[in-house]
Amino acid sequence: MTPAPAEEELRAAGAAGDAATSKPGTSINGPRNSRPRTVRLGPVGWVRWFWRQLTSMRTALILLFLLAIASVPGSVLPQEGIDPAAVNQYYQSHPSLAPIFNRLSLFNVFSAPWFAAIYLLLFASLAGCVLPRTIRLVGSARQKPPRAPSNLARLPASASYTTDLAPAAALDSAAGLLGGRRFRLHRGDGWVSAEKGYLREVGNLLFHIALLALLFSVGIGGIFGYKANRLLIVGQGFANTPTDLDVFRPGRLVSPSDLQPFSINLGSFRAKYVTSGPQLDQPITYDAALSYRPQVGGAARHYVLSVNHPLVVDNVSVYLIGHGYAPVFKVTDGTGKVRWDGPVPFIPVQQTTLTSEGVIKVPDAQPYQLGFAGVFVPSAVMGANGQLESAFPGPLNPRVSLVAFKGNLGMNSGQPQSVYSLNLKGLKQLPVAPRPLTAGQSVKLPDGAGSITYLGYKQWVSLAVTYDPGQLPALISGIAALAGLILSFLVRRRRVFVRAMPGTDGGTEVSVGGLARSDAAGGFDTEFAELTRLLRAEHDGRSMRASQVGDGTVDGPADFDDRERGLPTVPAGTPVAAAAVDAEAVTAQAVTGEAAVASNPETLTGREEE
Amino acid sequence: MSVNVTLADFSNGLLLSTLILYALAMLCYAADFAFAKHRVMAGVTDTAATGAPELEAAPELVTTPELVTAGAGGRAVSANAVAASAVAPSAASGSAGPSAAAVVSPPGGRNAGDAPASHWPSGFWLRLAFGLTCTGVVLHVLAVLTRGLAEHRVPWGNMYEFIGAFTCMAVLVLVAFCVWQRAYYMGLFVLLPVVLGLGIDLTWIYTPAGSLVPALQSYWIAIHVTAMIVAIGLFIFGAVVTTLYLLADRSQRRLAAGLPSWSAGIWRHLPVAAVLDRLSYRAVLFGFPVWTFGVMAGAIWADHAWGRYWGWDPKETWSFITWVVYAMFLHARATAGWRGRRAAWIQLAGFVCLMFNVIGVNLWITGLHSYAGMS
Repeated sequence: MTPAPAEEELRAAGAAGDAATSKPGTSINGPRNSRPRTVRLGPVGWVRWFWRQLTSMRTALILLFLLAIASVPGSVLPQEGIDPAAVNQYYQSHPSLAPIFNRLSLFNVFSAPWFAAIYLLLFASLAGCVLPRTIRLVGSARQKPPRAPSNLARLPASASYTTDLAPAAALDSAAGLLGGRRFRLHRGDGWVSAEKGYLREVGNLLFHIALLALLFSVGIGGIFGYKANRLLIVGQGFANTPTDLDVFRPGRLVSPSDLQPFSINLGSFRAKYVTSGPQLDQPITYDAALSYRPQVGGAARHYVLSVNHPLVVDNVSVYLIGHGYAPVFKVTDGTGKVRWDGPVPFIPVQQTTLTSEGVIKVPDAQPYQLGFAGVFVPSAVMGANGQLESAFPGPLNPRVSLVAFKGNLGMNSGQPQSVYSLNLKGLKQLPVAPRPLTAGQSVKLPDGAGSITYLGYKQWVSLAVTYDPGQLPALISGIAALAGLILSFLVRRRRVFVRAMPGTDGGTEVSVGGLARSDAAGGFDTEFAELTRLLRAEHDGRSMRASQVGDGTVDGPADFDDRERGLPTVPAGTPVAAAAVDAEAVTAQAVTGEAAVASNPETLTGREEE
Repeated sequence: MSVNVTLADFSNGLLLSTLILYALAMLCYAADFAFAKHRVMAGVTDTAATGAPELEAAPELVTTPELVTAGAGGRAVSANAVAASAVAPSAASGSAGPSAAAVVSPPGGRNAGDAPASHWPSGFWLRLAFGLTCTGVVLHVLAVLTRGLAEHRVPWGNMYEFIGAFTCMAVLVLVAFCVWQRAYYMGLFVLLPVVLGLGIDLTWIYTPAGSLVPALQSYWIAIHVTAMIVAIGLFIFGAVVTTLYLLADRSQRRLAAGLPSWSAGIWRHLPVAAVLDRLSYRAVLFGFPVWTFGVMAGAIWADHAWGRYWGWDPKETWSFITWVVYAMFLHARATAGWRGRRAAWIQLAGFVCLMFNVIGVNLWITGLHSYAGMS
């Protein structure tokens, strides 16, 4: 513990400095205002230290508040990293507001510079608080507990009683009892101080350091890891290379050659749904049967991928995150050539019944480029207003309805295009009566543009591929943070003092006092009562023994007594015997005790920990 | 594995019975406040009869005479261990004397000066109320259990079940704090939101028993959601106590300033504001690590299910906001100049974030956590 009187003085000085600067922004450079004080070099250092401490807690609170506030738009507005389609939609519905929001990074809140500024400042302030406290903890662990105050009755918890035991013997047994309960002891003339609960501060520091470690782990994952997505139709496969992935988001220091060289084929996909009752349409299971090769040319293995059961290859995890239908089409152009023959993934627009939409682009068709926009319904029924609707997510009655276009698809303009939408600018809709096609049915296009045949459907799954080397460090940091938190909440730092002096009637007056510096979870009162009870029992027992033996010395037999009563025994090496030697000066102690107490109460009761 | 409809109906009936028992218990707690004048908190005057506050002590209303002397100037309950350590060591600890028993008695108790022996309620109405609460919570637990048995799964897979579970936890916390801290005076106030919540749950949010969507079919639901339920139960208790603390503190400050306080008649049934403050702090102190654990367990589950342990999904974002605000509360509570009312307001802000996360995010924001089961 730091010397108390100096600290009192410092607090006043710090307050003065605070008032003088009074500008909240200039928290660190206090010394400009305290220049007149530089004569007292030591104290100024302390002032700066204390002032920084003071401001860092307030700053930390404000930064925490800002962090909470700053997170809110991330949950209210659509986010680029989570749902880019929703962001596009927001642009369409709020054309004037969206660009402003975009400039403020409100569609990218959690990677916005201002968000990063808040949490980096917070962690800087955290580090600035944790480091000095760690040093202090190491210092205080090497110091003895403070001297006992003279009047123990003034402490929050206190008790007194008389015993027949001599004062020195009473203190010996008290020290033994407290030492046996792993209190750190300090003995003086007529008193014993004991302190326990350093683990509280250890836990507190562990929690905060673990939070810093957690941030670093997240950073490691962001720098050395990658995320990717791949939509895979049944029967198709892909290799884990940037070109073969639909979306590839590498960390800053990831190069394409770092990717683990596995490949995956989708053998089949099966979805089961509730077919009746109030939960109709609700999915029951999704299973994707994969075969994968961990190495190029290696042996193929099989895995049934399902939600909550990712495939792990080479520390890379592959997840099943979505599924849908891919109707199969054959497009013949005006010259009679087949220009497209294969499945086209459609995207579910209605999650419960899997009504899906998609487009077919045939840029090679002659004489015109062809485009189709379609709706796929797995279980077609006619809606109330004659519209095609899906009644169930499973493929009970799959149908496709198409709108056909001819003209220029605009794919050579150099502008990137989504494969899921048509650029209608250069296209002309063909007058084809829309009708729901069943497998095998064709539509003949007017103007000799060709024809399209719906051949059936396949299913697709979307896979997420992630590699995050920060995961394990993050988990360890999280567990450490939790352990530190629990430790700092459950352990209380407390001191117990025992004084013994000859009473007026020939017996010995024993007074016990105790205080908990931090007893948030409560329970010190109970612990103190129990300690007092044990002490008293011990003293009664010993004085009984002493009267039998006729001597005040405490030796071997008492240890035996302790064990019999199930009390903690005195471990070898506790300063019981040593202190017993100088326990003569009983009268002198009163004087020194008073002197000590003048400065002590402040140290003891003054501060609760941050 | 189809749903056992008979058992599910039985569970619904149990939950409705629970609601009725809680409502009856509330009436009895209220009756206890109204009729049980012999157990008025020490040192506070009886203003119920006249409606006007009096500042003189009324010794005939007080059970423990030694506290009257200490409380003549105001609040006798301050003779408890906390306050005695804070105030100057004059009259309070002087009258308490050096006997361990007087100092050791837990400060939260209704009968602050009594021996700490009895953990159980005293007085007809209070015993009846507490008995009804305990019976109610037993039925509540059974309702949750039978629902789970009917569905062959953990019974917190949608919002209806989730609200049923965390209100149950809130009452369990109440019962625990009653026995442990003798906080029987909290019964009425904690049951109020519980009854409201259960009522809304049964009428508007009711979802028939069924199976879980694939994303929820994991043993992590038993870990992550259970932790959240425990934490929410504790946070509800903390928030109710803090609300009372703020009101009691306001009344105390008004009385101290010589101003009238309409609610003074209520506060004489409750311990002083400082005791309420500690009580709510304890609830949050237990709730916060559980919440932290719940968020972490959720992150691990998210990693299993979605391929990332943290993705700023709205539910994740709000659980983070809630965590940050409660962390602010804990820091503020330990910082000079912030503890007391300011910290209490921060705690309430945290609770608002929590409730928004539980209800608002489910209903108004779509995300990966859209399991409310309502459409």
